[in-house]
Amino acid sequence: MDSHSKVPAGKGKGEAPGLKGRFLADKGKATALKEKAATLKEKAAALRGKLPALGDKLPVFRGRLHDKRTATVIGRWLGIAVLVCFVTGVISHYVQTPGGRLVDVLPSRPSWGYRLTQGLHIAAGIAAIPLLLAKLWTVYPRLFVWPALRSVRHALERLSVAVLVAAGVFQLFTGLLNTVQWYPWPFSFVPVHFAVAWLFVGALLVHLAVKLPEIRAHWRRRAPATLETGDAADRRSFVLAVAAAVGAVTLTTVGQSFTPLRKFDLFAPRHPDHGPQGLPVNRTAAAAGTSQVDVDDWRLEVLGPRPYRLSLAELRALPQYEAELPIACVEGWSKSARWRGVRVRDLVERAGAPASSRVRVTSLQEGGAYRVMEMGRRYTEDPLTLLALELNGEPLSPDHGFPARVIAPNRPGVWQTKWVAKVEAL
Amino acid sequence: MRTVLGALGVAGMGLGVWLLLGVRDPVDVAVWLAGAIVLHDGLIAPLVLAAGLFVGGLRARGVVRAVLIVAGALTMIALPPLLRPGAPANSSVLPLDYLRNWLWAMAALGAVAVGAGVLGWARGRGRR
Repeated sequence: MDSHSKVPAGKGKGEAPGLKGRFLADKGKATALKEKAATLKEKAAALRGKLPALGDKLPVFRGRLHDKRTATVIGRWLGIAVLVCFVTGVISHYVQTPGGRLVDVLPSRPSWGYRLTQGLHIAAGIAAIPLLLAKLWTVYPRLFVWPALRSVRHALERLSVAVLVAAGVFQLFTGLLNTVQWYPWPFSFVPVHFAVAWLFVGALLVHLAVKLPEIRAHWRRRAPATLETGDAADRRSFVLAVAAAVGAVTLTTVGQSFTPLRKFDLFAPRHPDHGPQGLPVNRTAAAAGTSQVDVDDWRLEVLGPRPYRLSLAELRALPQYEAELPIACVEGWSKSARWRGVRVRDLVERAGAPASSRVRVTSLQEGGAYRVMEMGRRYTEDPLTLLALELNGEPLSPDHGFPARVIAPNRPGVWQTKWVAKVEAL
Repeated sequence: MRTVLGALGVAGMGLGVWLLLGVRDPVDVAVWLAGAIVLHDGLIAPLVLAAGLFVGGLRARGVVRAVLIVAGALTMIALPPLLRPGAPANSSVLPLDYLRNWLWAMAALGAVAVGAGVLGWARGRGRR
């Protein structure tokens, strides 16, 4: 037993030391560790003595406006844009998710609701691009603070800022590319954009918590903390320039959804005047394999307690209603149009089901994630929800869903099912 | 207040990480997230700072800086439609002549800048 205790730590390989022996050996290790720690501490102290010297040798940012007042002024606008993006994005996520518990809760009014929230999502995201770059420029010198890590708290704070910057740049970059349907990354966009949104907004809240005293101190133009820097005129000119950039990117893209400004739509991926029958489309009849629908063969099948089938002529003979409703795409573009057709609630009631039924609609299209659509009761019972046969006074063109398509208020474009074959009351 | 904000933030980040672990390829996402930092801190920011070195000493610093900021922002949102590879899904996707529009925007911006510069110069002379 005793012999084991004499085995120096690290040399007892292969031998199984007894309990006491292992304890003693560990004790030996502990002393050695303590000694090491002591020498390390000495070295650290020596290093710390050199550190300020090294810090002095590093280049220093002498440029102006890398100050807290500028960060606060730009930051609060950026914060608003990010929060608008987050809230509208979460709304869009649940409106786009098929089925689910919310299906009967989602409201059909206001009819322009999704058009507004998704238009805001994209516009706020685009406006955030110059704001984020200006904010990062302002605080860029802080990337090189010395010493890089002062304490555990400082390390965590810097980590949260790293997450904030990464998530912010990532969200704006992937979002902007998604609007032009460009996917250079290996992952699928929707779940990742949604997940990183939570990462982004979480890191933003942590950042606000950390910086709250500084934000308060620099919130007002005449705050004492602001007056010290003496850069007021230069800062005003910089902030005005950033505001001009926000205005410029907004003006040259927002026309894709806010149609009165269509003349200034220079860089948006869509333009209200381009598309069949004056309305942009995403999935064409050619892509969906529905270019050649034989009207003589086509029947609308309506399932319920009393199922029935209707030809296009019979559908046209039913009471027709008009509705002015937008197609609003998740990519941010939207345009209002005049639709004419049969109310979905009338079709459902004719099959012996209540007007407040949940409805499943199936398209003629071959495959695709949106071939089968489910609609909550609040959409079905809304008198504006139509099985449309006409668009802007003409029969639907193949790209807009000939012979019949669904058009419902306050819904994203992907759920406005085209080339309808079957309506089922559930 | 700070504690509540911080706790909410940590919870949000936690949810984000949990959601990310559920997607098919979280490692790819992590690589792209890190890439976002490298892209900004290593490329965009140094380029902007280098531009700032030239602009900082100019007399018409305010106007030149504003023009560069607006031109940079417009170019940034014009790049995706300009550079997107492959044919668009249909003729209503990317229907505009984006290169022509970008040139127009830069020309308009240049004209505004010259106007502002002349105005500033005239004002400066008037004061003297």
